[in-house]
Amino acid sequence: MKLSIKDTIGPRCIIKEDGQKTFTEICDPLKQGETVTLDFYGVSQFATPFFNFAIGQLLNYIPETDVRSLLHYENLNETGKSVVERVIENAAKQHADKQYRDIVEEILTKQAKESD
Amino acid sequence: MPQQVIQIPRLNDYPSDFEKLFTIWNQVNDYNLDVRFDFSRCGFLRPNAVAFLGGLARLVESRMGKVVFDWSTLRESWVKTTVRQNGFAAVFGDLAAPRDGNSIPYREDRNLDMNGIMDYLTYNWIGKGWVYVSDRLRDAVAGRMWEIYSNAFEHSDTGIGVYSCGQHFPEQDTLVLSVVDFGQGIPAKIRNFVGNDPRAPGLPADACLRWAFKRGKSTCTEGVARGLGLDLLKEFVQLNGGKLEVYSNEGYVIVDKNGERYENRRISFEGTIVHITLRCDEKLYQFSDEAESSV
Repeated sequence: MKLSIKDTIGPRCIIKEDGQKTFTEICDPLKQGETVTLDFYGVSQFATPFFNFAIGQLLNYIPETDVRSLLHYENLNETGKSVVERVIENAAKQHADKQYRDIVEEILTKQAKESD
Repeated sequence: MPQQVIQIPRLNDYPSDFEKLFTIWNQVNDYNLDVRFDFSRCGFLRPNAVAFLGGLARLVESRMGKVVFDWSTLRESWVKTTVRQNGFAAVFGDLAAPRDGNSIPYREDRNLDMNGIMDYLTYNWIGKGWVYVSDRLRDAVAGRMWEIYSNAFEHSDTGIGVYSCGQHFPEQDTLVLSVVDFGQGIPAKIRNFVGNDPRAPGLPADACLRWAFKRGKSTCTEGVARGLGLDLLKEFVQLNGGKLEVYSNEGYVIVDKNGERYENRRISFEGTIVHITLRCDEKLYQFSDEAESSV
């Protein structure tokens, strides 16, 4: 499957709603083991909300190794690539941490460390 | 209805100037209050103050108050020129002061207007010609700045929108952008998020900001990993040698070449200001494959 992001989203991949739209298109094919190519030709602006929803969210359903091997990118510039990589790393970490937290404990522990 | 006269002082962008703004917020933080802003003592007005005062005026209006900016009291020519050029004066009733189109406009966003905000950042702010950047880098910088607006709309629960203003200062060769919301503020948001914990109300603002600025930290509950926006912004500002400052409730953080510092300030307000100062040195605005120096 190949998806032209410019045709489906436009030249700016920055909002979560567009990310969700992309996620909806690609999640099932990836779950079934299909290779998916996202073509970013004509897309010039990127931000994390789009990729959090389009790609980071995939890790809730598909192992990271499969996302990395089945999902391909064409015409994605260096800025976009760096955001995608950061988003996948972050999603993998948060997925592993499994809602990680007692936030209050985390904040107070960090504060205690900083004031040592 | 009572009318409060607020004397606008000289307002730069040092922490003490932000405290003056928060003092003004405290003076008008009420319902059914009419406010008149008097500029007779205002000798300087930075874009952070422009964005803050614009948003504050809309906040007062949203609480059934009336706001008058008394332009007849404005005598300082630099300030007069600035608020006319950025369109602020025209937005608030100075009909004799149309924008001249050659500055970074004052902007009000009631909703998250993706194309409007991105055009502003891309063409009126970073791409206005203050510094030479390739289209690719211009787009990358605008994408980083978008994270500020995205966070403000998504996390602050602002009922009246987001207010911004920028300016290029040729003498310092810096480019500034201030984005203000009058939502609940980051520390308050975190305290509310963990509200069932009895320690939540006592969480210090500086500790809350430190948590929020760590990669991957977010109060979102949609099951989608988040919390990268501030992280990417921090990285960019540090590479640029610039400065990122956030005031939120009584918390303050500054990120610059010396690292990150978190503080609790004396005066608090409900909301968040993100204030970015970038250096315009063209050597700092190149990707690694465009030249030896890189951003």
